Amino acid sequence: MNPLTLPLRNLLGQPIRSALTILGIAVAIGGFIALKGLTLGVEDAFSQGLGEPGADLVVSQRGAFSLINSSVPDSLGPTISAVNGVDVVSGALLNITAADNNANIVIAAWPMNSTFWRGVPLTSGRIPSGDHVWETVLGESIANALNKHVGDEIELQYQPYRIVGIAAFATVLNQNMALVPLAGLQQLLAREGTVTLYQVGLKRPFNAERMAAIREAISQAMPDFLVTTTEEFTHDIRLFRIIQAFAWTVSVVVLVMALLAVANTLLMAVNERTHEFGILAAIGWTPARTLGLILLEGLVISALGGVFGIGLGIVIMKLVSMTHIASGLLEPHLTSALAVQALVSVFAIGPLGALYPAWRAIRLTPAEALRRL
Amino acid sequence: MPPLIELIHIRREFDGGRIVALDDLSLEIERGNSLSIIGPSGSGKSTLLNLMCGLDRPSHGVVRFDGNDVRTRAGWAHIRARRVGIVFQSFCLISTLNARENVEVAMMGQIAGSANRRKRAMDLLERMGLANRIGLRPAELSGGERQRVAIARALANGPDVLVADEPTGSLDQKSSRAIMAILAELQQTIELTLVLVTHDQSVAACCRRQIELIDGRIVGDAIRQPGYKMPAREVTAPARLP
Repeated sequence: MNPLTLPLRNLLGQPIRSALTILGIAVAIGGFIALKGLTLGVEDAFSQGLGEPGADLVVSQRGAFSLINSSVPDSLGPTISAVNGVDVVSGALLNITAADNNANIVIAAWPMNSTFWRGVPLTSGRIPSGDHVWETVLGESIANALNKHVGDEIELQYQPYRIVGIAAFATVLNQNMALVPLAGLQQLLAREGTVTLYQVGLKRPFNAERMAAIREAISQAMPDFLVTTTEEFTHDIRLFRIIQAFAWTVSVVVLVMALLAVANTLLMAVNERTHEFGILAAIGWTPARTLGLILLEGLVISALGGVFGIGLGIVIMKLVSMTHIASGLLEPHLTSALAVQALVSVFAIGPLGALYPAWRAIRLTPAEALRRL
Repeated sequence: MPPLIELIHIRREFDGGRIVALDDLSLEIERGNSLSIIGPSGSGKSTLLNLMCGLDRPSHGVVRFDGNDVRTRAGWAHIRARRVGIVFQSFCLISTLNARENVEVAMMGQIAGSANRRKRAMDLLERMGLANRIGLRPAELSGGERQRVAIARALANGPDVLVADEPTGSLDQKSSRAIMAILAELQQTIELTLVLVTHDQSVAACCRRQIELIDGRIVGDAIRQPGYKMPAREVTAPARLP
C-alpha cells in the first residue's frame, strides 16, 4: 500500500462519477490548449510566412490594429535601401479574402521589380510576367485544396486571376497564399500608393548586434514607422493581442469550470465518506494527513484530466486546422511553454478544487464523523 | 509515574447543554490494567471511551494521557497513532481496502517503507488466524473475521492501550468468545492496558476492574485482586503476538 492506494481506490469506487469529472477537466484543458495553440499558431504562421522570402526586418505603420490595416507609402523603398547593411527591400500589400467565394486565402502582392519574386519555389509554371496584373502564383496546398492547376482561373477579391504558377513554400501561411503583382491588388483594394509593410533582407552574414544597428539606422531614417523583426511585428499586431486576450479569457472560464467540477465531485465524495475520515482519525491520521489525502485525490483527478486534455487539445487543433474555412490560417501550435501552462493549470485546479471539500472533511471531531454512517 | 489515562472532573454536554452525557466524572486508568465499563444504553459509556482517546472533546474538565494535558486534535491523533489502538463494535474497516491494507493504513506515516508495513500487517493478520483472508475486502469477511482485522489494525503500531467499544456487540457467541480469547491473550502476553466498553456482564467480568456508569456518573468501581489477569476462555487463542 502506498500513498496513492486510497485516493485511487476511492476514485475507482465511483467510476462513472470519476470518469465524468476527468472528462470535464480534459475538455477544459483541451479547450485551453486548442484556443491558445491556435491563436499562437496564427501568429506564428504569419511571422514565419513573412520571413520565408528572406526578410529579417519589417517596416510597418505604428500601432496597426490588424495585419492588413498597416499602411505605408510605397515610395519608401529607396530610403530603406540606402541604409548601410540592407540587402533587399520589397513593399508588400497583404489581404485576406475568399478564393472563388470558397476557402479563405491570404493574398500577398509584391511589385514586379521585387527581388523576392526570384526566390519563389515554383513547382510548375512561372512567375507573373508583369505585362498582366491579373496573374497569380498559388501556394501548393491551397492549389491542391481547390483543385487548381496552372492555366486555371481563380477569383480573388472578386477579380478573376489566371494561375501562372504553383509554388511549394516552406511555411504554412505561404502554402495557402496567392502571390499577385502589387499594381493590380492596389487597384482592387483602392490602396494606390501604399503597401502594408516593407520586408527587409539584411546583408549576410550578420549577428544580433549588427541587426540591432541596422534596425536603429532604419528607425532613424524613418522615425514615423515601426521597424521590427517578423516575430515582433506579428506579436505587436493589436488584433492578435485581442485574440490572445480573448483566448485567455475563455481559457480561464473553462479552467474555473473544471475547478468547480473537481470541487463538486470531491464534495460529494467527502460527504459520502465522512465515516471513513472518522475511521482514519480514530486510527491516528492527523487532520493534515487527511487533508493531504483529499488534495491528492483532487490532484489525481486533475492530472488524469490534464493528460487526456492535452491529447484532446491536439486533436481539436488538428481538426479545426483541417476545416475548409481555417485551412492555412489556423495551424496547430503546441509549444513546451503551452504544455507547461496546461500542466500548471492542472496542478492548481485539483488541489484548489479539493480545498473546500477537504476542510469539510476535517472540521468534525472523529467521534462526530464516526457517527455519520 | 502518572496514570496512563486520567480524566478529571469531566463533563460532556450535547445539544447546547440540554443533554448531559457525562457529569463531573473522574477516572484514572493504570498501565497494564484491564478495565471494563458497563452500564445501560445511554449511560455515557461510549462518550467516556471517546473522551479518553481524544475522539471527542469534553465540555469541561481535563483529559491527561501519560500525564500530558492534550488539547489539540493533532496531538491526540499522534497519541492514537502510536499509543492507542481502538476497536469498534461496527468494526470500522475501510470498505475499499482489503484486510491487509486495512491494517497497513494505520501504519502510514508511522512505519517507514511500504514493504515493512506490508510485512507487519501480514504478520499481525497471520497471528489473528487470517493468513488466507488477507486479500479479501471487509464485505467478503465474516463478522468475527472483520473484528480480528480491526484488532490487528489496532495493534499495528504497538500501542500501550487497547480501547474496545462493544467489541463483541455485533458478533455471534462463538465469534464473541474467539475475540475475547484474543483480547485475553494480548493482555496476558504483552501486558497491554485494556479498556472495554460493554453491556455484556460476562465480557465485563473478564477484566480486573469494572466500573459502572448510570446517567453519566460512576456508580460502581470494583477491583479484583492485584495481579489479576483476564481468563483465557475455552476457545483456543491465536499464536502469541509480537
